[in-house]
Amino acid sequence: MNRINKKLKEDKKLLSIYFTAGYPKINDTVSIIQNLEKNGVDMIEIGLPFSDPLADGPTIQDSSTKALKNGMTTEVLFNQLQDIRKTVNIPLIIMGYFNPMLQYGVEAFCKKCQEIGIDGLIIPDLPVDVYHEEYQTIFEKYGLINVFLITPQTSDKRIHYIDSISNGFIYMVSSASTTGAQSGFGKEQTSYFERIGKMNLKNPQIIGFGISNNETFTQATQYAKGAIIGSAFVKHITNKGINSIKEFVNSILN
Amino acid sequence: MRLKVCGMKYQENIEQVATLQPDYLGFIFYENSARNFDSKNIPKVNKSIKKTGVFVDASIDFVIEKINNHNLQAVQLHGKESPENCNDLKHRHAELDSAPYPLEIIKVFSIKDEFDFSVLKPYEKSADYFLFDTKGKLPGGNGYTFNWNVLNNYPSTKPYFLSGGIGINEIEDIKRFAKNKASKYCYALDVNSKFEIEPGLKNISILKEFKKNLSEVLENKKEKAMNYNVNEKGYYGEFGGAFIPEMLYPNVEELRQNYLKVMDEPEFKKEFDKLLKDYVGRPSPLYFAKRLSEKYNTKIYLKREDLNHTGAHKINNTIGQILMAQRLGKTRIIAETGAGQHGVATATVCALMGLECIVYMGEIDIARQAPNVARMKMLGAKVVPALSGSRTLKDATNEAIRDWINNPVNTHYIIGSAIGPHPYPDMVTRFQSVISEEIKWQLKEQEGRENPDYVVACIGGGSNAAGTYYHYLHEPDVGIVAVEAAGLGIDSGESAATSVLGKEGIIHGCKTLLMQTTDGQITEPYSISAGLDYPGVGPMHAHLSKTGRAEFMSITDSDAMEAGLELSKLEGIIPAIETSHALAIFKHKTFKPDDVVVMSLSGRGDKDLQNYIEYFKI
Repeated sequence: MNRINKKLKEDKKLLSIYFTAGYPKINDTVSIIQNLEKNGVDMIEIGLPFSDPLADGPTIQDSSTKALKNGMTTEVLFNQLQDIRKTVNIPLIIMGYFNPMLQYGVEAFCKKCQEIGIDGLIIPDLPVDVYHEEYQTIFEKYGLINVFLITPQTSDKRIHYIDSISNGFIYMVSSASTTGAQSGFGKEQTSYFERIGKMNLKNPQIIGFGISNNETFTQATQYAKGAIIGSAFVKHITNKGINSIKEFVNSILN
Repeated sequence: MRLKVCGMKYQENIEQVATLQPDYLGFIFYENSARNFDSKNIPKVNKSIKKTGVFVDASIDFVIEKINNHNLQAVQLHGKESPENCNDLKHRHAELDSAPYPLEIIKVFSIKDEFDFSVLKPYEKSADYFLFDTKGKLPGGNGYTFNWNVLNNYPSTKPYFLSGGIGINEIEDIKRFAKNKASKYCYALDVNSKFEIEPGLKNISILKEFKKNLSEVLENKKEKAMNYNVNEKGYYGEFGGAFIPEMLYPNVEELRQNYLKVMDEPEFKKEFDKLLKDYVGRPSPLYFAKRLSEKYNTKIYLKREDLNHTGAHKINNTIGQILMAQRLGKTRIIAETGAGQHGVATATVCALMGLECIVYMGEIDIARQAPNVARMKMLGAKVVPALSGSRTLKDATNEAIRDWINNPVNTHYIIGSAIGPHPYPDMVTRFQSVISEEIKWQLKEQEGRENPDYVVACIGGGSNAAGTYYHYLHEPDVGIVAVEAAGLGIDSGESAATSVLGKEGIIHGCKTLLMQTTDGQITEPYSISAGLDYPGVGPMHAHLSKTGRAEFMSITDSDAMEAGLELSKLEGIIPAIETSHALAIFKHKTFKPDDVVVMSLSGRGDKDLQNYIEYFKI
């Protein structure tokens, strides 16, 4: 069974952390992953940086730009991760935009992910219908779970379609926004979380965008299997360095 | 094969059938028919559908009157019309002022179990198509098929319509027929009574099912490969599509579902045309550049988009999109801009309509293009600097997209070029297609023919080019030339020649050719012209490049600047530097003396004066 599916079966709320590979320093990737696992994070999204990250707010744009300047590429990332499964057991997901994967070759990319022990992919600009028609068989051939996003504007019909194509979890974007912290969830968002909760989807949901601290994490996980933190973590290591990961994770999980 | 739906009668039903995009719609002008079309008007249908009048031994005057009243593109003659009658009709039609296209004449013959094909011969010259119908009591509409095997002996090479009693039960027969040699010259299927609820009222769902089940037969693969327009899925060949994050899906989907419907509304068309005329100043002149033509020993016509309000073609699109935004109930407009031309055109139409306007512009461009920033502000727009990435056009586009993600309900994003996720490239192209629509009749006036030998335009994202080519894409006798900016030279590392340096990939929501690193990171292009330094090219142009339909040329900064100066001195027209790139091709490509070359003079040079001054030390 894929590590993601196994993790989703655990009887607990999941904390997933996103970081941008190659940031702050080009060679921080492995030690960030190891530290996150050691401190109790359940799942990790490794951001493959892109020059034009449309769905991201200023924090992740900035970390992406710097990571690219540091020399991060798809090839470099794969080399860094070559032996990651010798030390790390939690699910690892690569999150990135579609063009770098297309240039690497979608099949070659998937094959490499499987060799390394990557469990899934999140590709915000690969629409579900294109995936379904052109790439699903490739992803499945290499045992990869592809995770799709839904937003408060996604229609019920489309959510059911996305649910039918998914085989891991659904990434529930908390509000109509790019990535980045907000201050707490309002009524509109919680009723959206409730609405999705009542749809009885076959895939569990994990909430992302706007989760930044213990309060928003607790709030989100009342309605979903887990929550994803990205910008707040990137900001934290920008300010306090990668040696303070423990402090960050503790502050979320209390 | 194509599809003709005949015997249309009711307004709403006509509109519904038209959404299925048949190739022909037939209207019967014959009093004895239950389907006689007696309404005053035919509702507006997509231009690609040919409206066909069906007549039975009617007088020429009557036929001409109906052609005039209803703007018919084809006539179908069901009676005993002679070859001479057909010829007379063609000649009378050609004399009409309102006849932009030659009339198609379809001559009908009825067949039962056998047919004497020798009767076709006298019509070989005068008819464009034959139509074979079932012989019965009535002139058409008898409701049963004839023995199609008779067509095994078809002696002609003239394409024909297969008609008579075709319905949903004939689908398998048609598939078999399509594989049979008798169908070699079968050009179209003609359907009528078998799809009716009552005479003249068509059943849409059965028609839809028929079309779907026969999609293999109806969509000829060869024809498909030659299609340069967007397909139903939003692709031009392999390019296009909508590679967007889920957050944008509802916005883009709303537009996709509505844009063609809105553009086909008579009220919309009327308002758009009126603004183009009264506000923009269209039609823009098609000017024969005499001295330039003499110098390069060929016939050069300049399509004067520079004379539009705000000084370039950009406003054709922003007028269209602001009307679209209003129809969709949007109250807030966002746009990206590089040099500021599209920003100004957007701020202008927002002022015109009283809508809030936010323009994203790279921080570096804001510093370089101060006059346009001031213009936008005077027009009431808010100019927001894009501070991320390289802080130029591509980043301004990213910021506009991010804004749209954050404001999914009340905001319309006016993209300025034929780029972005489907339906943007197609929508922008259609709004800009007024350029080639005008060229057709203007050239006819001046040269006696609609088709030039070449159409030429400069390409950044490619909106003026898309509009200039649009009505010529499927005219094989018209050569298409696309001119990109080579910057300091293609191999200099400072260039914007996307068709040469670009590779297939995804930028701003569409698959196209774009300049990128081997790792798939989008790179910054360079050109002296701020309007041409976009790292991608519209998907339609990527397709034109890949299929070889268009010839792509690249022009360096210095050649472009010289050509701009030359036009100023020879014709008294100071062009925008973008346009100067197109003008520079005459130095590199030789045309024949009697070639007619139509070039889009996309913008005026006022905005570039400072550049010209510095370059030539004026």
